[in-house]
Amino acid sequence: MKELLTPRKLVVRIALAGIVLIVVMFVCSLIGAESVSLKAAFRGVGEHPAVNPDYEIFVKVRLPRIILAAIVGAALACSGVVFQVLLRNPLADPYILGISSGAGLGTIIAVLSGFNWTLWGRSPIAVFAFAGALGTVWLVWFIGRLTGKFHVTGLLLAGVVVNAFFSAVIMFLTSVAQSQQIHATIFWLMGNMTEEDFFVLWIGGGCVLAGILALFNISPQLNVLSFGEDDARNIGINTARIRTIAFAVAAFITAIAVSLSGLIGFVGLIVPHAVRLVLGPDHRQLLPLSGIIGAIFLVVADTLARIIVAPAQLPVGVVTAIVGGPFFLVLLVRHSRKVSWLK
Amino acid sequence: MSGIIEVKNLSFSYTPQSTVLKDISFEVMPGTFLAVAGPNGAGKSTLLNLLCGTLRPKSGTIRIDTAAIESYKTESLAKKVAVVRQEFVPVFGFSVMEMVLMARTPYFGQLGFESKADRQIVNQALVETDTIQFASRPLANLSGGERQRVFIARALAQNTAILLLDEPTSFLDLKHQVGIYDLLKKAQLEKGKTIVVVTQDINLAAQYADEILLLGADSSYHIGKVDDVFFPEQIEKVFGVRIFTAKVGQEKFFLPLGKFAKDSRQINSKPNSSTHK
Repeated sequence: MKELLTPRKLVVRIALAGIVLIVVMFVCSLIGAESVSLKAAFRGVGEHPAVNPDYEIFVKVRLPRIILAAIVGAALACSGVVFQVLLRNPLADPYILGISSGAGLGTIIAVLSGFNWTLWGRSPIAVFAFAGALGTVWLVWFIGRLTGKFHVTGLLLAGVVVNAFFSAVIMFLTSVAQSQQIHATIFWLMGNMTEEDFFVLWIGGGCVLAGILALFNISPQLNVLSFGEDDARNIGINTARIRTIAFAVAAFITAIAVSLSGLIGFVGLIVPHAVRLVLGPDHRQLLPLSGIIGAIFLVVADTLARIIVAPAQLPVGVVTAIVGGPFFLVLLVRHSRKVSWLK
Repeated sequence: MSGIIEVKNLSFSYTPQSTVLKDISFEVMPGTFLAVAGPNGAGKSTLLNLLCGTLRPKSGTIRIDTAAIESYKTESLAKKVAVVRQEFVPVFGFSVMEMVLMARTPYFGQLGFESKADRQIVNQALVETDTIQFASRPLANLSGGERQRVFIARALAQNTAILLLDEPTSFLDLKHQVGIYDLLKKAQLEKGKTIVVVTQDINLAAQYADEILLLGADSSYHIGKVDDVFFPEQIEKVFGVRIFTAKVGQEKFFLPLGKFAKDSRQINSKPNSSTHK
C-alpha cells in the first residue's frame, strides 16, 4: 500500500534534498575554467596590492553565480507547480501567461532607450524586465477576469494572444534596432547568468524564499483546487482568495527570476513534472521539493554552461533544454504507468 | 420543527430572457430523502447549485439550518452541506485515500496536515462506502461505480448534515445504481442525514425517496410524498412522453413508451396507462 505523506516524512525528505543541494552547490563551486584551491581561498582577501586570486574567483565570481542559479531554479520550479495546478494544465509553465514576452519587451525597450542608471544596483534591463513581466501578468489576469469569474480557457487564450502580440512588438523593435543592441537582447532572451552582488542575491533570495513559504502555506488548498473550482468551494476552500494569492506570488517570484537572469526555459515545466512523476501530486511535498530540485538542476546546468565551451560560456537556457529534455523523457517513459493524467 | 433546508419564492435565470426556476418554495425536514426529478433543462442541477451556494438566487431566499445561505462563509457552509457532482475530471493522479482526506482540509492544523481524528473520520467514510479496499489506488484506475462511491465517501467525510448529489447513478450499471442508492439510504437511516438527489431515474427515485420535487420545463413544480407527485398523468404531462405504469408489491414502475416501441400499439389503443396489482 502506498504510504500517506506524514509531516515527519516531509521534513526528512526536504532535509535530504537540502543536503544534496548544498553538496551540489559546493562541488559545482570547485568546478570551472580556473582551478581554485579552497585552502587558499579561505585565507581571505589578501594583502593589497597582492590580492588572493583564489579568493577573488571563489567568493566574488563562482559563489554568487551558484547562489543566483539556485534562487532562480527554485523560483521557476515552484512557480511552474502553481501554474500547472491553477490552470489545471500539465503543459503550463511559469511563462505561459505572457511573463516571458512582457519581460522581453521590457528588456528591449531598456536596451533601445540606452538608459544607463541603476536602481538598487540593478541595470535598467533588469528593472524593465521585472516591470514588463508583472505588467503583462496583470494584463492577462485582467482580460481573463473579463471573460468570466475564472475561466481557465479564457485566461490561457488571453495569455497566448498577449504573448503573440508582444512577441510581434519585440520582432518589430528588433528589426529597427542596431546589431549591437540586438546581441544584448538575444543573450538575455536565451537566459543569462552573470555574477551578481551579494546585496542583489540577498534581496532576490529573500523575496523568492518568502514567496515559496507563502505558497507552501496554501499547499493543502492547492491540492483541493486541482479538483476544480466548484468542488473546492464545496469542500470549504475560499477559492478566490487562494487563487489570487497563488497567482500573485507565482507571478512575483517568476518576475524576480526573470529580472535576475533572463528567460530560462524548461526548468519550470519539467522539474514539477519530474517530482510529481516520482513522488506524487501532493502539493505539500511537491512544492518544496520542486523548489530544491529546481535549484539543484539549474546549478548543475549553469556549471555545465560555464565549462562545456570554456573559456567561452553557453547560455544556460540551451543547457537546461539539452540536458533536461532527454532526462525528462526517460522519467516519463519509466513512470508513466502510474500516472493518470497521461491517459 | 422547521426544515433544515427552506426555500422561499426562489427564482433564478442565467439570462434575463429565460427563467429557469420561477417562484419555488419548499421545505426539507431533517433526515428526509428528497429526489429532484424532471426533464432536461427544467433546472434540477441549477437548483442543486443554488442549494450549495455555487449560484446566487436572482430573488427569493434559501435558508440552511435556519440561517440565510448568504450569511455562511465558504468554510462554514462546507460544514453543513456536502456535494457530489455529476462530472469530474481528475487532473493529477491522487490516490483514493489522499482525495477523501481532502474533505478534511478546512480542519487541518497549522502545518497543513490531518489529525488522528480526521483519519478516523476518513477511514469510517471509506468503510461505509465499501471503498477502503482500494484506498491506495489512483483515482483514475477505478471504474465509474467505484469512483462515484469514492466521491460519496469524500462527501461523507465532510461530516455534514446535508448531502446533495447531482445524478449520482448516470453511467452506472443496474447493480451499481442500486448500490449507490442503498448507500445513501443507509446514511439517511443510520446517521440521520438529509439527502437531496437530482436524478433522471424516476423509478429509483420512487423506490428510495421519501419526497419528490418534480420540476417541469415550463417552470412549474410539484412537491410532496412520492405517490402524490408520481402518478401517470402528471409524469406524462411533465416529461411529455407516454408512460406505462405497473405496480409490484409496494414498488411502482414507470416505463416510457416511444412511437416505435414493440408494444406501442397496445398502449396506443389504451391511451391511459394500465395498472396491475
